Amino acid sequence: MDVRLQISMVFHLDKCIGCHTCSIACKNVWTDRKGAEYMWWNNVETKPGTGYPTKWEDQSKYKGGWEKKGDGKPELKMGNRASRLINIFHNPSLPKMDDYYEPFTYKYEDLFDSPEGADQPTARPISMVTGKFMDIEAGPNWDDDLGGSPVYAKNDPNFSGLSPEEQQELFDVERLVFFYLPRICNHCLNPACVAACPSGAIYKRGEDGIVLINQEVCRGWRMCVSACPYKKTYYNWSTGKSEKCILCFPRLETGQAPACFHSCVGRIRYLGGILYDADRLVDALKVDDSELVEAHRNIILDPRDPEVRAKAKENGIDERTLEACERSPVYRYVKEWKMALPLHSEFRTLPMLFYVPPLLPVMAKTEGVVYDTANDELFSPIEKARLPIKYLASLFSAGNTDQVSYALKKQYAVRLFKRLETVGDVSEDVVNKALAECQMDAAEAEAVYRLTSLPTMDERVVIPPMHREEAMAMLDDDMWEQKGSAGFGFREAPIRGA
Amino acid sequence: MVMNVTTTNRPQRERRLDLARTGLGLVLAMAAVLFLAVTANAQDDGAKLFETRCYSCHNIGGGDKQGPDLKGVTERQSREWIEEFVRSPVAMRSKDPVAAELFKKYSPTIMPDQTLTPGELDAIITLIKNLTSKNETFVPSGAKLSRAIVPGDIPAGKELFTGQLKLANGAPSCNSCHSVNGVGALGGGTLGPDLTAVNTKYRDPELIAILQSPNFPTMNTIFANHKLTDEEVVQLFAYLQNAKQLHPEASVVPTQAAATTDPGFLILGFAATTLVLVGLNVFWRKRSHGVRKEMVRRSKI
Repeated sequence: MDVRLQISMVFHLDKCIGCHTCSIACKNVWTDRKGAEYMWWNNVETKPGTGYPTKWEDQSKYKGGWEKKGDGKPELKMGNRASRLINIFHNPSLPKMDDYYEPFTYKYEDLFDSPEGADQPTARPISMVTGKFMDIEAGPNWDDDLGGSPVYAKNDPNFSGLSPEEQQELFDVERLVFFYLPRICNHCLNPACVAACPSGAIYKRGEDGIVLINQEVCRGWRMCVSACPYKKTYYNWSTGKSEKCILCFPRLETGQAPACFHSCVGRIRYLGGILYDADRLVDALKVDDSELVEAHRNIILDPRDPEVRAKAKENGIDERTLEACERSPVYRYVKEWKMALPLHSEFRTLPMLFYVPPLLPVMAKTEGVVYDTANDELFSPIEKARLPIKYLASLFSAGNTDQVSYALKKQYAVRLFKRLETVGDVSEDVVNKALAECQMDAAEAEAVYRLTSLPTMDERVVIPPMHREEAMAMLDDDMWEQKGSAGFGFREAPIRGA
Repeated sequence: MVMNVTTTNRPQRERRLDLARTGLGLVLAMAAVLFLAVTANAQDDGAKLFETRCYSCHNIGGGDKQGPDLKGVTERQSREWIEEFVRSPVAMRSKDPVAAELFKKYSPTIMPDQTLTPGELDAIITLIKNLTSKNETFVPSGAKLSRAIVPGDIPAGKELFTGQLKLANGAPSCNSCHSVNGVGALGGGTLGPDLTAVNTKYRDPELIAILQSPNFPTMNTIFANHKLTDEEVVQLFAYLQNAKQLHPEASVVPTQAAATTDPGFLILGFAATTLVLVGLNVFWRKRSHGVRKEMVRRSKI
């Protein structure tokens, strides 16, 4: 058993209101720079939709993530070392600037400086890359911003498992449905970007599992951009280096929540430490797609288990860190309650950002000219959900509908349970049946309810003490060598070609 | 024990010495035989060297060819003059009036620099002196075809010339450097001269001698280790002998300039470049194509 710590996350999609505050907070803190204008380390997508960059989930085009090979071992979908070397100067699977979008601003001066004339002056859009006038054709969440459903929602790669009739039903006016999917770097346990980097610039921090790109080592090969199946590494065209979400590690190290977590209006974001067994990592990747979620969950260890704690201490994990792991909301959602699922586990990177799938309970129907949102039952059962379970399974459990159904049934049972308690207009039999269906008792239902609806900031974000100095001491035999040789970041400006 | 060893070893050591003496004797005897053989061949050496290195352009007593008849040259010029001229004829032209006169007479042919060792030069000079004093004409011993020419040799020779048949010892085919008017896809190479009228330039034994061992600086380096076989000599000779008849329009001294400024070749170069670029574009057509624009275009149809 090789116990390691991972800072892990849960996004509760049933609470996301799609306000993009997280994206803006991140943009203001990290990517409001030349060369990074098009980057959204945090972005919110509307689903069904093609996302950002366009169709990032379609690995037949982007060749991201891993593939299970004959002996069960994963190999990068981009190809083996030889074929990556051949393509090193012209990587064929990169997204184009247009697949993200060409960043733009407006020529606001014209509004003030224009000479008097018959027409009102306008602010024409100009490209932030070329500085020339441009026609805006796309943006980071175009389908949402401009209602591009016939184009963008229709081409959602997750529809591939649905029949044409099922797909058509989704676009009926009465059934039209969408939800939001906020995405940041998953800080995977088996990161494809790290494996693909020819310069060895990307690394996973040993003490907390945060995946980072060393800006001084990066040579801008952009192999990580195509290797990451979530397209969460970005190439900065100004510095000539790649960048990605750093999980606000400077904030975490000082005990503050990452900017996107901190600013989340819907309070959907949970963060906490997770202990996992690194020895079982490779075996967890040898299973078939449908068992991946279960295998992923199985390598997560119980922080209360004395044996785990002993092994963790052997690996230098501090007692106070273990204490924080015990309080981790992520551990509860993922391991104890099995309600949070990884996004696209079939990419086999073992992402450590988990999602509680959205319940979307309101179902309307038309009777004559009446558009009726009421239902015979108080909440419509998940089998009648507007979003087909198959669709959600394609997103969150590599096609295994059981995992998604279970997570939704739990949410459904908790709602009935609380309705009985607070209003009392559901029969106890119905509630008990719903609880029994997902092997849940009243205490657990209450705990789920509390962590979902009433958590304080300290309950949502439990940051283990970082002990950065101890981590450095572990990495360096002679840490005093660093004294006086490390300073204020770059010794030279990060310019292209440097 | 120690005594024993020394006593038994003494006869063995003697036997070894005997063996060594016999061996040394044998080696000496063989060396003597070799030396005799070498000196016996020394007279033939001059003839052989002259045949392979000089005969394609010079003769002794047989009259002027591409270059002058060398009969009596040793009487007209000093040993030092001959040696200097052979080493670098062009260098002599500017400083020696006799050399300049020779260049003028045999224009446009220029004798290439020869890499003969002093010993080889001596052997050739001995031969010239010998034949001059006897007033004999040089008769090449080897410049003969191994068999009579049959009609089938001409097309076979053509195949060898154009490279459709590979040369047995690995030399490049003739038309990589030479041309025979109109033969081959691009009319042959232009590094060496047009060989259409080669049989009017050289007499038969000379042409055979050239085919057997071409003594031109460029060809020498290539063909020294990749000689033509006897059969190939026969077939190529048959082809080159008939080249003039097959292409009567060719001039006796073809100009190389005409071939190098051929605009057809330039056009062909452009066409080939375009073809390669188009091919690359087709081969990599799926590279660097965005996803979004294509998706939007398809959705609007």
